[in-house]
Amino acid sequence: MPEYLLLLLLVLPFAGSLAIASLLRTAARTLPSWLAGGVALLATILTASYYPSVTNGKVVRYEIAWLPELGLNFTLRLDGFAWLFTMLVTAIGFLVVLYARYYMSAEDPIPRFFSFLLAFMGAMLGVVLSGNIILLSIFWELTSIFSFLLIGYWYHNANARDGARMALTITGIGGFCLLVGFLLIGHIVGSYDLDRVLASGDIIREHPLYLPALVLILIGALTKSAQFPFHFWLPNAMAAPTPVSAYLHSATMVKAGVFLLVRLWPALSGTFEWFWLVGFAGISTLLLGAYFAIFQRDLKGLLAYSTISHLGLITTLLSLGSPLAAVAAIFHMVNHATFKASLFMAAGIIDHETGTRDMQKLSGLFRYLPYTASLAMVACAAMAGVPLLNGFLSKEMFFAEAVETHADSILDQALPYIATLAGAFSVAYSIRFIHTVFFGPPPTDLPKPHPHEPPRWMRFPVESLVFACLIVGIVPGLSIGPFLHTAVLSVLGPETPYYSLAVWHGFNLPLVMSIVAMLGGAALYFALHNYLARCEDGPPIFRHLRGQRIFERILVTVSWKWARWLETNIGTRRLQPQLRIVAVVAFLAAFLPLHLSGFDAKLPPVRGVDPAFVMLWIIGMLSALAAAFLAKYHRFAALLLIGGSGIVTCVTFAWLSAPDLAITQLLVEIVTTVLLLLGLRWLPKRLDKIDESATFSARLRRLRDFAIAVACGVGMSILAYTVMTLPVPDTIANFFLERAYSEGGGRNVVNVILVDFRGFDTMGEIAVLGIVALTVFALLRRFRPATESIGLPEQQRIQNAYDDAQPERNKGDTVRDYLFVPSVVMQWLFPVVITFAIYLFMRGHDLPGGGFAAGITMAIAFLLQYLAGGTRWAEDRLRILPLRWIAFGLLIAAATGAGSWFFGYPFLTSHSQYLTLPLIGKVPTASALLFDLGVFSLVVGATVLILIAIAHQSIRTYRVKAAPKTEDA
Amino acid sequence: MAAPAGSSIDLSAALVLAPAPLADWLVILPVAWCLVSGAVLLMLRKNLHIQPLLAILALAVLVVLDGLLLWRVIEGGPLTMVMGRWLPPFGIAFTADLTGALFALFSALVALAGGVFAVQNIDGSGRRYGFYPFLLLLMAGVSGAFLTGDIFNLYVWFEVLLISSFGLLVLGSEPKQIDGAVKYAFLNLVATTLFLIAVGYLYGLFGTLNMADIAIKAAERRADLPLMTLATLFVLAFGMKAAAFPVNFWLPASYHTPRIVVSALFAGLLTKVGIYSLLRVMVMLFPVEREELSFVIAVAAAATMLLGALGAIGQSDIRRLLGYLVVSGIGVMLAGIAVGGPGVAGAIFYALHSMVVMTALYMASGVAGRLSGTFDLNGAGGLYGRTAYFSALSLVLFLSVAGMPPFSGFWPKVMVAKAAIDIGAWWLAGSVLLTGFLTMIAVGRVWALAYWRPSTTPAGEGAGPGPAAILPLSALVLVTVLVGLFPDPLLSQIQAAASLLADPSAYIDSVFPHGAR
Repeated sequence: MPEYLLLLLLVLPFAGSLAIASLLRTAARTLPSWLAGGVALLATILTASYYPSVTNGKVVRYEIAWLPELGLNFTLRLDGFAWLFTMLVTAIGFLVVLYARYYMSAEDPIPRFFSFLLAFMGAMLGVVLSGNIILLSIFWELTSIFSFLLIGYWYHNANARDGARMALTITGIGGFCLLVGFLLIGHIVGSYDLDRVLASGDIIREHPLYLPALVLILIGALTKSAQFPFHFWLPNAMAAPTPVSAYLHSATMVKAGVFLLVRLWPALSGTFEWFWLVGFAGISTLLLGAYFAIFQRDLKGLLAYSTISHLGLITTLLSLGSPLAAVAAIFHMVNHATFKASLFMAAGIIDHETGTRDMQKLSGLFRYLPYTASLAMVACAAMAGVPLLNGFLSKEMFFAEAVETHADSILDQALPYIATLAGAFSVAYSIRFIHTVFFGPPPTDLPKPHPHEPPRWMRFPVESLVFACLIVGIVPGLSIGPFLHTAVLSVLGPETPYYSLAVWHGFNLPLVMSIVAMLGGAALYFALHNYLARCEDGPPIFRHLRGQRIFERILVTVSWKWARWLETNIGTRRLQPQLRIVAVVAFLAAFLPLHLSGFDAKLPPVRGVDPAFVMLWIIGMLSALAAAFLAKYHRFAALLLIGGSGIVTCVTFAWLSAPDLAITQLLVEIVTTVLLLLGLRWLPKRLDKIDESATFSARLRRLRDFAIAVACGVGMSILAYTVMTLPVPDTIANFFLERAYSEGGGRNVVNVILVDFRGFDTMGEIAVLGIVALTVFALLRRFRPATESIGLPEQQRIQNAYDDAQPERNKGDTVRDYLFVPSVVMQWLFPVVITFAIYLFMRGHDLPGGGFAAGITMAIAFLLQYLAGGTRWAEDRLRILPLRWIAFGLLIAAATGAGSWFFGYPFLTSHSQYLTLPLIGKVPTASALLFDLGVFSLVVGATVLILIAIAHQSIRTYRVKAAPKTEDA
Repeated sequence: MAAPAGSSIDLSAALVLAPAPLADWLVILPVAWCLVSGAVLLMLRKNLHIQPLLAILALAVLVVLDGLLLWRVIEGGPLTMVMGRWLPPFGIAFTADLTGALFALFSALVALAGGVFAVQNIDGSGRRYGFYPFLLLLMAGVSGAFLTGDIFNLYVWFEVLLISSFGLLVLGSEPKQIDGAVKYAFLNLVATTLFLIAVGYLYGLFGTLNMADIAIKAAERRADLPLMTLATLFVLAFGMKAAAFPVNFWLPASYHTPRIVVSALFAGLLTKVGIYSLLRVMVMLFPVEREELSFVIAVAAAATMLLGALGAIGQSDIRRLLGYLVVSGIGVMLAGIAVGGPGVAGAIFYALHSMVVMTALYMASGVAGRLSGTFDLNGAGGLYGRTAYFSALSLVLFLSVAGMPPFSGFWPKVMVAKAAIDIGAWWLAGSVLLTGFLTMIAVGRVWALAYWRPSTTPAGEGAGPGPAAILPLSALVLVTVLVGLFPDPLLSQIQAAASLLADPSAYIDSVFPHGAR
């Protein structure tokens, strides 16, 4: 067989799944099952035909480079053990599809079911065939995902949803642990390739990371195989449709865990830790599972706990670390898959025919379903370990191994007794299944009163599986023998022990144990018979101590209570604490490294201070402090004070010979102050009331905030001072100073920097300005002021009242005439200010000024008109389209930049540099001027847009009922 | 202003004299294109029907431009253009290396998907008040941040994108939005200011703003400069932008308030700019300081991812829940940065994955909210039975965000965890995977409640999601599936990108060709 067909084997189920999923919308009901059955059958045949390639320890490998960087190739690997498992997965898969074809009812979405089932089969095949442990963990996660979807198939049912989520949560956490474990193994071995890992057992076991890796991998395997203490998800997963249970809990999902243990057996087993961890889980699961199974009322619940117990048996065998035990484990995996699948199917038939799975309602079904009953009885006998059936053989091997001493410890010495006891339990629940369901008086209150035998082909899967149980049980050496040998050889290699699959080994200790278990189990059942017919669901004592409950409690605590607590205590939703945290963290971020590294700032002494300059700054600081102090209750005063500190900054610029900055700063101060004042109109007035109830804690809080503010401020100042007084390196500023005129073509270095050296920054910044204006515009269009600020301002009300009081005056006269002379002056100033703006613009490249300053000046011209005549008056006379100005400005700036494309130069290359013409007059013809025009246009547009957005508030009418004083707004 | 104009000046000392090859324009075109098309859309503000068409076209062109740029960078190494043909470091350099080009391309893809999704999600008033211009200008800021080679210029693009995002955030002007927007604006302005302070500090120390120049000078003069404070300031500023613990509050406070497509774009783009800047500054410029800060960043990373995931579990509004998942993902990226080495590749990969998946998740939540009439998990339900295709898309996204294979979230998680284990930080690797598990609980809850559980209320809107919603969603899901199944092409580029960050000599050579400095 060619290797690449392995890929086909793996891809086939996924492709089938996708094909069926595409049928979701069609009404076809049989097509999906035919497709699924065909795919499963094809996969079975494909697997079977690979058998000659894997005998005698041969391995089929197929490798595609996938992620060579991570040491991860898409490696498929089929050896004897994988082959045996693949066979189980595909063959039982086929039978389950056939069974489901009859089981699923007409209301269920059939395509979805088969699509998930095939995808699950593909994922399971991936786990089995992976030749790379990371790849294995990927498919491992996929089995979790698809089992989640399958368990939750009847999503209308709350139990199904909860069961699915729990299965996903438990196996999901296992999957993540497994991944970490594999990463650790990869770290130890230096490769993720399975063959390398298996060959490096000694390195792994001696590595200090062995224990964490082992624990993590075991968590993965034990969660999947539902081993104690992770067993509780499995009974809850019984809410799935029965074909799903038959598949997941016999041959596939839960077997993945023990599969992994066998797979990694050569690499991990044989240590003290392995024995204790695996052994403890296995033995407690074996015993508890069997014990719990006796007391279930639900048929599927009984089978679920029995599955848990049998998996515990396999785990226990694997913990022993002896090759013979491994043989027994592999053998029992196969046997369990066959009888458990058939039992689940039988339970499904009973459920399907009677409408219930409650063993206290079911009774005497033998007379209605004789054929099914016989099949179920044989399968049950195999489960109980009755001779001449396959379960007997592997159970005998288990008993033999239990008697053998492996490690001299209490656990090991107790094992024979525990094994016998568990055997007795398993006999008891098997008898219970048969006796309660099929014998006794006819049932009385069945939901479906007339049960009858299922269709021929629904029974076929059960028949085949039971037949397999019989064949293996009677002639093991001829039937399963060679295949088992191939599988064992591939796992154990040269360690493969001699073993015999004969039915009769003579009268020995294991046989005695079997007999004791049989008799004990039967006695136990008949002793409990009456109790079981009436008791509540669940075993005594443990009935109220349920893993599921504990798990849910933990989950709720972690997920809901902790999450809520965290949100209320750490993730505050209020702005002030958030800002406080930011300030503190920022302070620490700047301070700690300096402090820890012992950096000595060596602040140079302050020299040559001009007292006037100091005075100026004291005024500025006082203004800032006062503004902060007044900001809460006297916004107007605070604004003016902020303006004051702005002026101080402005004067400082001038003082330090930066006239350009001074002018710009001054203009910006004017515009922002006016705009803020206009906006202030719409803020409700705050009552000037100092909170007298300011408690001690409130004062403390304020003190703390003050301390933070001072610390940050002082720290920032020191930082700035340190940086500014550091020896100046060769900065790019020197270059700007040298080259502004020679290559930049302008004498005003600031302007050349803005429009040429760093013109791109300017472009970004004007974009910012434009966007700010747009945001303000968008925000204010939907703005609804607070009710108390809708009425006329106090001043206008007084003026109107004055008009009312004077008989010869009309109401509104005073308002109109108020500041009449300044208004006229402002109106007349319009052309003057515009001329000034043009002047500023034109001289920008050589002297203080430039597009930005000119733009602001121009905006001030408009601003004055609005102030002077009011919004209506100004807009009657001026047609301003600020959005166009913004867009135009941005376009001009960008176009100027892109223009250099045509000259073969980079973006924003100024043209003056290769223009050899003498400069005309005082106006430089640098293309930077065009760029500056863009800046100008955008600044005008943006400022005016904000102005208009605010100004329009006063001419809008607000329909607010609660506004009492809407006289004639 | 002393130097007189004259022919005696040696131009070659100041200017690049060779003409710029056409291909170099690819570095600047994404930004210039966005600015121009943003301006054009602004002109056409009132033309409500042509706007979406033009914007989608413009964004498609942007994807093509970024794709070409990435192709060029893969073929020929980092690409530089210095504005105004000034010699570096004097002019503003735009330099695209693999990291920048990858981020730019993915951001463009996400924006295009958002542009299409918005056709249905943004109504006439949203269009009139500038959704599409804002989007294009936002993309100018984002692309600029990814492609610039100048640290002050990076600040400028930060501002552009911050202000545009603010505009998008308040579109609609609901009181709830304003509340979120105020927090968003305040905290982000503080972060941007911190960034500016750090830039000023940096300029004071080095006298240069060009990143390649800084990389050289930092390596030369590390010993006698207090670079640690500079590094912590950058980490704080960018960490805040990226919503890292303990300065992440602005994100859950604001991301659930705007129109869903805006949330989707934010989740895909904004925090990733912070991560990108951290990569650029901490990995490329200050690797030694990153090494020293490794533990601090790692602790912040673990706290961010775990608190994010736990926060997600505690939410009942799907959009808020997703906001916390964004935060949680940031933690994983920070972990990659903290670990360094191969972890950096993991961080880049995770960022690209998160861009696609978080955007798609928000879109899906929008569709889900529309279908069930509420975003509240307590009221939503019945989606699985009603819309199989949409449910499948959502499930893929849920699994992908939880880092389940075989979707794109799996690989970066493994890479980060592996890198953490290799340096012995097993607790960090454990946190990464525990986060995945907690995320799964969170999204599993969404799935069980909103999708599986039968609807308790009568269905919201009868009609299924329209093509404008399903198309971009499907495209993004396709990306996460393809990247998950065939990660190699992307991964090899990401690893090359990470190694270029760790050893930026190719980047420096691109800015200063032939060692000309």
